[in-house]
Amino acid sequence: MPRHKRAKSEGSQVDMTPMIDVVFQLIIFFIVTIKMDQEINEDIRLAKAEHGPVIENEDPRTMVVEINKKGWISIHGAQLSRSKFTNIMAARKRRLGQFPVLIRGDLRAEHKDIRAVMDICAQMGIWRLNFAAIKQEATNK
Amino acid sequence: MKKRVRRKGDAAALEMTPMIDVVFQLLIFFIVTLKQEDILSHLDVSRPSPDPTPVIENDIKDLLTVTVHRYGYMLKGKNRTLSQLERDLTRLASFSTNVSVIIRCTADSQHARLVEVLNLCAKVGLKKLSVFSM
Repeated sequence: MPRHKRAKSEGSQVDMTPMIDVVFQLIIFFIVTIKMDQEINEDIRLAKAEHGPVIENEDPRTMVVEINKKGWISIHGAQLSRSKFTNIMAARKRRLGQFPVLIRGDLRAEHKDIRAVMDICAQMGIWRLNFAAIKQEATNK
Repeated sequence: MKKRVRRKGDAAALEMTPMIDVVFQLLIFFIVTLKQEDILSHLDVSRPSPDPTPVIENDIKDLLTVTVHRYGYMLKGKNRTLSQLERDLTRLASFSTNVSVIIRCTADSQHARLVEVLNLCAKVGLKKLSVFSM
């Protein structure tokens, strides 16, 4: 009879340790994998290019320039006029010398707007440009 | 005797419920905010200076010009659809992938068309790409 009582009380107390372990592992995984530097403009639709090369280790100096479908230039989500963009590029060029430029152009943007950005880069002496395109779309979008 | 030992153990145990609550909240937050990203490809081109002299240092016969306009593509003065362009570029690249390709875009052509041409060039292995504007 006393044995029966004890078994009952132990049965009601679930051992939490393994569950907490697993949950902490999951949290650590999510904290590590989360990217807080998502300053990309969600409105920009990139064209698809499934054969393009993927860059594994992106140069940290890379300047990402976004051009939306209306041809507006933005950097890190901040919209800029062309003269302001020129000033920023010039300042960066003075500081860093050559740096890679990645152009995230909306697929509906007209070439003249892309051209404006390319011309400004060319003025600064940056001849190598990269266009971003989607190699593989995310599955859960 | 046994009973006393158990009581001692109970006192030492922390109250787990609030911690588990918080931890679950965190877990749910991270699961909800996790978003898979697109895999991006970087299409590398060179943009010549407005002065065309540095580009024409290449041998002229190794130069291929693709024109991109609003409604399609042109190769060697003839209109091409994307599939025709792909066929032609595949054939040309089979001779040599060392050919310099000049992609000329009209001002009103969509950026997507330029990316399509760059994609084709990447597919057939042409690496020396320059973008001109008209």
